[in-house]
Amino acid sequence: MTSAGGFIKSIESGSKHLVIKRFTLRYPEQKLKFVGDGYQFDPKRGVGIAGYRGRHILFHDKCTGCQLCAIACEGIAEAIGMVKVGDEQQQWKQNKKGIMPQIDYGKCVFCGFCVDACPFYALFMTNDYELSAFTKEHLIYTPAQLAVKPKYQGDVEIVIDERGATHG
Amino acid sequence: MASFPQNFRFGEFVGSLIWLIFWILVIVTLVALPLIFIILFYVPLPEIDGEVLTPYLFLTSILYPQSAIPVIESFLDTTLFKVAVFPGFTYGAIIAAATIFIERKFLAKMQLRVGPLYAGKIEGILQLIADGLKLISKEIIIPSGADKVIFWAAPIAYVATAAAVVALIPAAPGWVVADIDVGLVAVFAILGFFPLIALLFSWASNSKYPFIGGLRALHQMIAFEIPFILSALSVVVLSGTLNLTEVVESQIQSYWFIFFLPISAFVFYISSLAELERIPFDLPEAEAEIVAGWLTETSGMIYGLLQLGSYIKTYALAALFVVLFLGGWAGPQIFPTIESTEAMIYDATVANAIFWFTLKTFGVILLMLLPRGISPRIRIDILLHTGWYKLIVLAFINMFVALALIYGGVLGPGGLLVR
Amino acid sequence: MTSIEEKFEESKRLGLQIVKESEEDRLMTLSVGPQHPGSGHFRFVIKVDGDYIVFCDPDPGYVHRGEEKMCEYRNVIQNIPHLERPVIHDSANINYSYSLAIEELVGIEVPRRGQFIRAIASELNRQVYTLYWLAIYGIFLGHSTMFMWPTGDRELMIDLLEALTGARVTHAFNIPGGVRNDIPEGFKDRCLSQIKYLQKRFKEYEDIFYNNPLFRQRTEGVAVLSKEDAIKLGVTGSVVRASSVPFDVRKAEPYDIYNEIDFKVQYMKTGDCFARSYVPLLDMQESCYILEQLLDKMPASGEVRAKLQPNPKGPPGEAYRRVESGRGALGYYIVSDGTPKPYRVKMSVGSFRNMLALPYLLVGQRLADMPAVYWSLNYWPVEADR
Repeated sequence: MTSAGGFIKSIESGSKHLVIKRFTLRYPEQKLKFVGDGYQFDPKRGVGIAGYRGRHILFHDKCTGCQLCAIACEGIAEAIGMVKVGDEQQQWKQNKKGIMPQIDYGKCVFCGFCVDACPFYALFMTNDYELSAFTKEHLIYTPAQLAVKPKYQGDVEIVIDERGATHG
Repeated sequence: MASFPQNFRFGEFVGSLIWLIFWILVIVTLVALPLIFIILFYVPLPEIDGEVLTPYLFLTSILYPQSAIPVIESFLDTTLFKVAVFPGFTYGAIIAAATIFIERKFLAKMQLRVGPLYAGKIEGILQLIADGLKLISKEIIIPSGADKVIFWAAPIAYVATAAAVVALIPAAPGWVVADIDVGLVAVFAILGFFPLIALLFSWASNSKYPFIGGLRALHQMIAFEIPFILSALSVVVLSGTLNLTEVVESQIQSYWFIFFLPISAFVFYISSLAELERIPFDLPEAEAEIVAGWLTETSGMIYGLLQLGSYIKTYALAALFVVLFLGGWAGPQIFPTIESTEAMIYDATVANAIFWFTLKTFGVILLMLLPRGISPRIRIDILLHTGWYKLIVLAFINMFVALALIYGGVLGPGGLLVR
Repeated sequence: MTSIEEKFEESKRLGLQIVKESEEDRLMTLSVGPQHPGSGHFRFVIKVDGDYIVFCDPDPGYVHRGEEKMCEYRNVIQNIPHLERPVIHDSANINYSYSLAIEELVGIEVPRRGQFIRAIASELNRQVYTLYWLAIYGIFLGHSTMFMWPTGDRELMIDLLEALTGARVTHAFNIPGGVRNDIPEGFKDRCLSQIKYLQKRFKEYEDIFYNNPLFRQRTEGVAVLSKEDAIKLGVTGSVVRASSVPFDVRKAEPYDIYNEIDFKVQYMKTGDCFARSYVPLLDMQESCYILEQLLDKMPASGEVRAKLQPNPKGPPGEAYRRVESGRGALGYYIVSDGTPKPYRVKMSVGSFRNMLALPYLLVGQRLADMPAVYWSLNYWPVEADR
């Protein structure tokens, strides 16, 4: 009667799960916590710093307009284009040409090779992934929009105990 | 979310309300009022306490609620109430709707996830209404070359047949829509109609995958009808009657039949899973092999009717299991009898019977939902082998046990265990 | 119909009957096409005689995007996000093979800690892919619980990979020269606790799925692939290991640091559908042991990435390296002509080679066995089409 034994074991296994806590993450009431601030790259040492690859952040006081990020993205997704910034009131000392990248998130694949290409510590990535918009034009982030640090609050992570794993 | 949300304008809101009130007034004056007057003129209204019931008399119950009680009591005695509300269609439909929701939440808990969550404030309790509205609003697509008459008639026939099975099952003493002396045979005669509907509908769909699914449904339902009938015959042997109400009465006099006939109950349970096309027996609707079996070409309300019929059939077969093996409405009396001089709707025995019957039916339905979470689909040759060989042998074994109990004088009239 | 020549002749003979030629033609042609719950992005045409399948003709190509041609227009680093898209769940392995081939062409030396981290990402991805494959195997057989449990357990690995690489799938992590970043804090403890939890879950899978009598009845003895046929057809991965050929690229041609890791090649002798569905579970358990050893033996500090020029290029030549991915041996053959952009990239994927066994296995089986056999060949439609 091995088949009866098999059936009883499967019924027991299935019913055991009726008392285990559910695993679901109830987004958007619960959001996941990330360690660190986002993916960054250190050109001196030549390695990246582990982090989540979300929306980019551009530091206006470090970007020199060298276009290396746009050149790196040209073969991948063609999501970075350079635009003129600044006028008579606002100029940057290190950015003589006055151009900075704008990123089209309709095309970006979030691979992070633009961050790897920047030699001036100007382009990093952050934890923000909630980038929905109503039109495609709203997805193109100008350099001024990219300079804003996002506010992301997530505090839920996977917890494993004797009774099972759950998000809490 | 591809368009801008519109701004709220108070003037447009008031205008839409006035438009709604206008249409309500138009429909009431042109349709509802003439209908009421036609009913008052032509339909003979019943007499209650020496007075003819008119809507004006009924409206006096607003001032004197006690005068409404004889009206409700006379309504409870009519056949219309028994057919439409309890224990007929509405009762079956409510239990079917509750079954669908409980099934989704129960399976979700077993699979470590949450079921429907957002429709309705408490854990998705209005999900069924949302699903029903969605199905009503979808377009019904009939494939070209399909037989239109059968395509429209088969789902309605399915629901009607399922409701006919519900009509034969007693839910409380005296509460049965059709109290037939050969009730059990009538149930099996009606259940034999389902394979025909499946085959006709699959042939009328004019497509390959429904064709395969319909043949599989035919094989499956016919193969499991015989163990079904044989396992119920053991109950007939023990109780000596084919009338379902008297089967319950004989269980109240002795003990529940499941203690004497466990193997028959098991065979009945497996056969009813096969009749209902539930996992592990859902070959006619196998999703990964034949796209949706004989339900492939259904869409919109046709699919909704077929699902409703399927769940009403679930309630009917679970109630039949309770009536045959679990003692119907027997149970300790927990509702207090209230002595009163005036007429009352509340009757303690009937309320007790309804409570225990519903509780047991839900227990059996939960047991029918369990295999969906723990087993894969069975294959057709294993299914036919099980249905024609193993289950018939098991049913016969228990029939011999039942015969031995009767001839040994343990049960039956004047037996040892009869109280 | 046991030998492969007989099956081939039978298929060729019936292959001429594409349309119904006479009124006595009793075969029914079914197109299990891309719009079928049991087929994925793949189409195959089967002819059915009653309940038995007599002819099968696979028809891939619905997801072909020209990956190999696109590689000729991009330099070596820009190819990475493109090449990981054929298998988004298993992207570390597909990039691993590419990186090994490029390193051989250009002549890059990968630091030791980088090799260990590459292997860790590769093993984690193998588990992620195999759990997803197992989930879909469950739903093809109608077992909805076996669909939900592996998909839920896979979330733990994906969370871990997200902490390590920054993305849930399509990590772009293994690049020529090493890996892109070092491991974050707390990774090692999290990984070890999740491995222990996963090993407990494997017991549950065995209870409810593998030892379920209904599952066994459906898959034992179905579509047996003998050892000679498996070698002749050239199948790879868990399919060939289930036909008693203990071939694993990590043991046969060890790459990186796999010759320092101690593990066994799991294989089964029966060659039926049950063996093909059970070998990936055994592989996952071995993968857990390998992960524990990797985390143990990793050097405590060191470089993880070799410094490259902005446009790496090497002398003209060719290189072929292969890696054991979730589906079998995944190889890259790259020809370079001295410029930064490769001249020709050819991907040899395990799915396409396993697909060649499908017509021969399906002939003579019942229609109900079709999803069981098809998915047991560990076939990923997007990767086969590239």
